[in-house]
Parts: sequence; structure tokens; C-alpha cells
Amino acid sequence: MNPAAVGLGLSLGAAAVASVTALVCPDRVRPLLVGLLAAVSGAAGVVAGVAGMAGHRLAVTLPDLLPLFGIRLVLDPLGGLFMAAVGGVAVAAAVFGIGYTSPQGRGGSGLHRRAFQVVYPLFVAAMLLVPAAASIGTFLVCWELMAVTSLLLVLAEHRRRPAVAQAGLWYAVMTHLGMVAILVGLVLFAAHAPGGSFAALRDAAGELSPLVRGVVFVATLIGFASKSGVVPLHVWLPRAHPEAPSHVSALMSAAMVNLGVYGIVRVGFDLLGVGSRWWWVLVLTLGAVSAVYGILQAAMSTDLKRLLGYSTTENMGLVLVGVGAAGMFAAAGNQVLAGLAMAAALLHVVNHAAFKTLLFLSAGSVLHATGTRDLDELGGLRARMPATTLLFGLGALAASALPLGAAFVSEWLLLQGLIHGVAAGGVAFAVTMPVAVAAVALTAGLAVASFVKAFGVGFLARPRSAAAENATESGPTMIGAMGLAGAACVALALAPTVLVPALAPVVGAAGPLLDSPAAQGALTLRLVAVAGSLSPLLLAAALLVAALAVVLLLRFVADRRTRRQARLWDCGAGPLSARMEYTATSFAEPLQRVFDDVLAPELDVDVTHVQESRYLVDSVEYRARVPDRIERRLYQPVLRLVDAWGQAGRGLANGSVHRYLGYGFYTLVGLLVLLAVTR
Amino acid sequence: MTDTAALSSLSVQLLYLSCGAFLLAAVVVLWRRQLAAIVRVFALQGVALAGIVAVLAVEQRSLELALLAVGVLALRAIGLPWLVRRAMPAAGPARETSPLVNVAASLLAAAVLTLLAYAVAQPLITLSPSPVTRAVPVGLTVVLVGFFVLITRRRAVSQVIGFLLIDNGITAAAFLTTAEVPLIVELGVSLDVLFAVLVLQVLTTRMQAAFGDTDLDDLTELRDT
Repeated sequence: MNPAAVGLGLSLGAAAVASVTALVCPDRVRPLLVGLLAAVSGAAGVVAGVAGMAGHRLAVTLPDLLPLFGIRLVLDPLGGLFMAAVGGVAVAAAVFGIGYTSPQGRGGSGLHRRAFQVVYPLFVAAMLLVPAAASIGTFLVCWELMAVTSLLLVLAEHRRRPAVAQAGLWYAVMTHLGMVAILVGLVLFAAHAPGGSFAALRDAAGELSPLVRGVVFVATLIGFASKSGVVPLHVWLPRAHPEAPSHVSALMSAAMVNLGVYGIVRVGFDLLGVGSRWWWVLVLTLGAVSAVYGILQAAMSTDLKRLLGYSTTENMGLVLVGVGAAGMFAAAGNQVLAGLAMAAALLHVVNHAAFKTLLFLSAGSVLHATGTRDLDELGGLRARMPATTLLFGLGALAASALPLGAAFVSEWLLLQGLIHGVAAGGVAFAVTMPVAVAAVALTAGLAVASFVKAFGVGFLARPRSAAAENATESGPTMIGAMGLAGAACVALALAPTVLVPALAPVVGAAGPLLDSPAAQGALTLRLVAVAGSLSPLLLAAALLVAALAVVLLLRFVADRRTRRQARLWDCGAGPLSARMEYTATSFAEPLQRVFDDVLAPELDVDVTHVQESRYLVDSVEYRARVPDRIERRLYQPVLRLVDAWGQAGRGLANGSVHRYLGYGFYTLVGLLVLLAVTR
Repeated sequence: MTDTAALSSLSVQLLYLSCGAFLLAAVVVLWRRQLAAIVRVFALQGVALAGIVAVLAVEQRSLELALLAVGVLALRAIGLPWLVRRAMPAAGPARETSPLVNVAASLLAAAVLTLLAYAVAQPLITLSPSPVTRAVPVGLTVVLVGFFVLITRRRAVSQVIGFLLIDNGITAAAFLTTAEVPLIVELGVSLDVLFAVLVLQVLTTRMQAAFGDTDLDDLTELRDT
């Protein structure tokens, strides 16, 4: 029996049952039942995905299920990887949701209501189906289902916060524009392939003219990149991801964005067969810009979930750097480096899924306990929420590309590919690769700063508000879900020797131009054909030994001297208070100065003088804001134009029913006259 | 398509008579101002439409068409006028006092619309010239006249009648161009019309309650500014 078929069937079945259960069962038990069933659905999705990666092919055709084109599903190793990643995130998010949406929880979020809980499993099912879709019709239906269900989930808390509605509007518009772009690209493609199945597209790709292939690729790239939150199509992401309920944020930010990458790889490598080099230079450029811009905005952000949202843009940028480099190598015929870069990108997708789930769930735990996401109002959570603090710290380490973190392995692989690519031949490589290396390195540095800020300001030191002071640790299901994601992060960080060889068939499925990248060793990851090896496990052991040695040495030295208890040095200014701490804003201020020209922060200083004398200052008000510059420069003019257009259109609509009917009548008569005259 | 030779001259005369009555009724709706009279004329138009279908049924010896003729008669000559009339006593003044286009100009416009319909329908007729298809422009004219009623008359009841004229025109054109409208399609369309009239009736009553009048231009205040 095919485990992929069993897994996928079980997964979809569980999601359907969860949705129906949410409809019929009472409020009290709904979050529990839906959470458990959605977790089963996710776990079955992991089984199906891993089976798909292991080479169990699954092909299902249901011609009558949808009119005109039917449903066609094929699970190959490439789809399997993404399905497994989605499933894994879904398990953790679903378990977290049991506690997070429970009606007994504090504040009464209202998330236990029917409307939210019915849609949630459908979103999971739609995301699991996207990587298995094997015809244009099926793919677009699943894609749209995913977009619509996620939109409904984002809007879940619109009654509580007005910002949610605005975020939903941005998301709805951007995701549907992206959908239109994908539709245009794929329909243009399908015009040359009868039936529209992916197999037919693959066969037809060779006969397309380079211009058509380029248009198809760019159109689909726009759509998929907007789903992945790639600059300059990222504007919806830092709005919608933070405003969604936290476990939905985790699903969107750790699972849904990956599917954009999936789309690019599927269309660019698999269906179009790599194509020209400029495509991939474009992808690499977009990726590099997204990575740097995303993490820069994250470093400036004081909203915890917004920071994580921008970090998603950064990580998707890094993935696209890998994908773009792989495409460039493949177009140049260098299979080994292409495989290496692609493996690095895919590994980063998996790593990002793990640590972003953990981080968003921890942020959800903080939000649940304190009711705020503003880092400047948090602090001091270490004593009150030790488990959440520990797990957020773990996630922050995994995200900051330092040794022992999960992202370190994939970024190391990526850098290996880029550095060896400098000599791959041609001016294009000699120019792009060093720039890409610099972008990745800068990103890694800024990521450390961002996550040190998030962890240090948010969790350590003293509480800065009453909400943070009165925080209590979250319930067992939420901690358990975070623990699950944390365990995945640790496993990915320490044992990439297991996963990287398993990526070989996935990379192979992406196209014949890519080669398997790594040789397995028990402890060490050795690269084929290029010099390079890494052993995270040995590295961890060495670090552990070194840390132990330092601690023992200090103990040994310190025991010789007498200890005394004393107050922390405070310049003699009295006891230290929370107002003296670093805030998120002040921590990011030096970076803001360095990147002044890029960020263009808005500073506003208002000085009020004393009435009697203008030489004496009564008060000084200081306001600093770091707006999203791309949004301001690129989107605001367009929005203003649309607004002006709408205002002009309003003159046509004076509210008279007769006038509205008249528009129809005169148009009809005009058309008929035209017909009668010109015939 | 109906064969030319199969139509006896009497049938053709009867068909054209029905079509003439059908068209005339639409023009009379434009002419009369009394709302009660307009509804009566509309009922007569339903009879004419049923007559068209009945003539076709006799010619083609089709039981299904005969049933449809009975159905059309029941719905359009009796059912719908009754429903509209029921909405009327509540609906304020019983006269179309000041239409947006006066009666004389309306009649001229109707003449122009008729010419336009004949001009536009020529290609349809040349597809298969027969006495039946030659009557198609009548259906088209009634559609246009109905639309014209919609944009020029103020009272809610006139609006409903305009809408129903459009539907009568569409039905007539359908019967005249195709040999046989499938029963299920005709049933579906009739049901739609019935529901639309019910909804409009409710709306008219509500308008009357809210504004004390059924002049549609009072609705101008409802737009967002």
C-alpha cells in the first residue's frame, strides 16, 4: 500500500472531519476537537510528504470533480518536501491553537467561534493540496482556496482591532493581484499545451518561443513572489501576518510563503526547464534586495510580530538567492553547483519553517499572556514565563545564522555555492556572486542584531509595563506545541547530515540539470566536487566542552576569593528602574543612523518654551518613525491615483436610479445602432 | 425551424395579429398615465403573448407548446398583474404624474426604437427567412420599450411593469426564433420573474412606508457621499 496515498487521504479526510466538527459541536470542546483533528491532518501530511520525498509516487485523477478540467494530483519528491514542511507547521500550530483559541483563555479572544474554527482546517488542507496539484486548473483552485481561507482567518479579530480590517484589505488586494498574474502566466502557457496538465506543459515548454517563455516566467514570478512577500511586493506581509491570530501567523509565515518558492521552482525549473539566464539573475536580485531590506526593517521594528513578519521577507529573500543562483548555474550547465545552491535553498525553506513556527508561536504565547506585541512595553518575562523565554531564545538562535542554529547550516551551504560560483565562468558570475555573498553576509549580521533585540528587550531585564509584570506562563498545549517546534529546530541544527542527503531526489525532481549536492557522512556533511565540509554535531560538542571548561575554570578561580553581595552599580543615581533600560527603539538607533539613507526615518522634535522666556525650555517632544519606504514611494502614488479615479467616478453616480438605468440603456442602444450601421 | 410551407395563411394572419397586439400593448403602456390602466394593458399583452405561443403550438401540433401557452397565460395575464395590482393601493398616487420624458416624446422614441429593432434584427431574419422569424423584431422592440419605461417613469409600479415588459419581449423573441423553448427553461425563467416581482412588491411597500411616496428619485438620498 502506498504510504503517500494513505497519508494524503487521511490528511484531507481529517481536515474535512475537523471542519464539519467545528460546525456542529458546542463552543466548549470545539477548539480541542478541531485542534486535534487538524494536528492529525498535519501529521498525515508529513507522512505523505516524506513518502513522496522517498520516491512513493502518487497520481490521482478525478475528471468529474470539477467541471471542465477535473482534479489531477501528482505527488513527486519536490512536492513532497513542501507538503511535509506544511504538515509539520500545521501540527505545531494546531496543537498551539487548542490553548490559544480556548474560550476559557484570558481576554476571551472569540477565536473559538464557529466561523474561525470551520475555516482553519480548510486552510491547512488547501496548503497541503497546492504542492500536489498537477494541472493548471487544480493548481489555481487550490491556490485560490488557500488565499481565500487565509484571508478569512486574518480577518478573525477584526472586531477587536481596526488595524485588522486594513491589513485584510491589503492582503486581499495583493493576493488577488498575484493570483491574476499567475493566471495570466499559466493560461498563456496552457494555450500551447492541450489539457493543461503539468505533464503536457513540460512537453510543450520546448516548443515555446523565448519571448513567450520569458513572459510566462515573469508573470508567474510576480504572483509567486507576492505570495512569498518578496520586495517590492511585500507590503501586505508585515501587516497581515502580525494581525492574524498567532497560530495562523505561524501557518502563513512558515508554511504559506514557502508555496510561493514552490511555485517558482515548479514553473521555472520543472515546467519551463530553466530557460534563460536573465530570469535567474532577476530572481537572485529580488532575493538579495528582499533579504537586506527585510532584515533592515525587522531590525527597526518595535512590534514583535511585525519584526517576525519582516524576518520572513528576509528569509524568503535568502531562499530566492539560492534558487536564483541554482538557475544561473543550471543555465550555464554547471550541474553540481546548481544542485548545491538548490539544496541550500530547500534546506533553508525547511529550517525557516521550523524556526518561524517556533518564533510566531512564542510571540503568540507572549501576546496571549500580556495582550501586547510592543517590545517597548514588554521586558522581564524571563522570570514569569520561563518556558516561553527559553523557547523563544532557541528560535532566535536558530534564526540568527550562528553556529548551533538551524539557519547556520543552510546559509553555510548557500555561501559555499555562491563562493564557488564566482569561478564558474563568465562576467555575470564574477559580478553577481560576490554581491550576493555580501548581501547574505550583511543579512546574517543584521539578523543577529534583530533577534538579540527581540530576545533581550522583550524577555530579559525588567518589565516595562503592568501587562508584562503580571504575565503568567501559557498552558500546557501551547508550551507543548512550542516544544515540538523547538525540537524540530534542534534536530535540524544538529543533524543536517540526515536531511541533506534526503534532499537529493527533491533536487533531482526539480529538473535534470541539477545534481545531487552532498555526500553523507555519519557526523560530517561533505560536499561533492567542491571542497567543503561541516559537522554541526562536532561543533556542538566542542562548544559544550569549551563552555563547561570556562564555567569550571571560573568556579575554580572564584572560589579562591571571597564573595560579597552588593547592589548593581548605578552611578549613584538610586535604584535602577525600568525607564533606564534599553528599549527596542534605542537598541536599533545606531543601526538606524548607519542606514539613514536607506531607511529615511522621520524625526520630529517639538520644543515648547516657557512662556516668560524663550531661553528656557518647558518640554521637548521627540517622535521617530521608520516608515516602509518602498510602500511610500511605490504604492502611495498608485493608491492616490486610484483614489482620484474613484472620486472622478463618483460624479457619474448621483444616486438616481434612472440615471444608472439610463447608462445601461444608452449603451445598449448605442451598441445596437453601431451594429445596424456597420454591418 | 418552422417550415414556411407548413404555415397556413390563416395561422400567419393570427400570428401577426398577436404580434401586433403585443407591440401595441407595449406602446400603450408608454401612452397611459393611470397606473391601473397600465397594469390592465400589461395583462392584455400577456394574453397576446400567450396567443403567439398558442398559434405556434397549433401549427406544430405540439402538446408541450400548448401547455406553455396555458402557463404563459396564467402567469403573465393573470398572476403577475394580480401581484402588481396588490402592491398598488399602498403605493400612493395612482398616476404617473410627471415622467422624465413626456408622453408625446415617449411615443416618438418608441417609434425610433422600433426602427432600430427592425434594422438590428435583419441578420437574424436572413439566417432563415420565414413568417415566424419575420416577427422577431417585435420581441426586440418590446425589450427596448421596456427598458425605456424603466429609465423614464418615476413610480415604482411603472418600474415593475417596465421590467416585466423586458421579460415579455425576451420570451416572445425566444419563442419566435427557436422552434421550441424547452419546458424547463421557460419554467425557470418564469420562476425568476415571479420572484423578482415579489421582491419588487416588498420593496415598493417598504418605500411607501419609509418615504410616503414611491418616486424612485427619493432614493437619491441613500447614496454615500
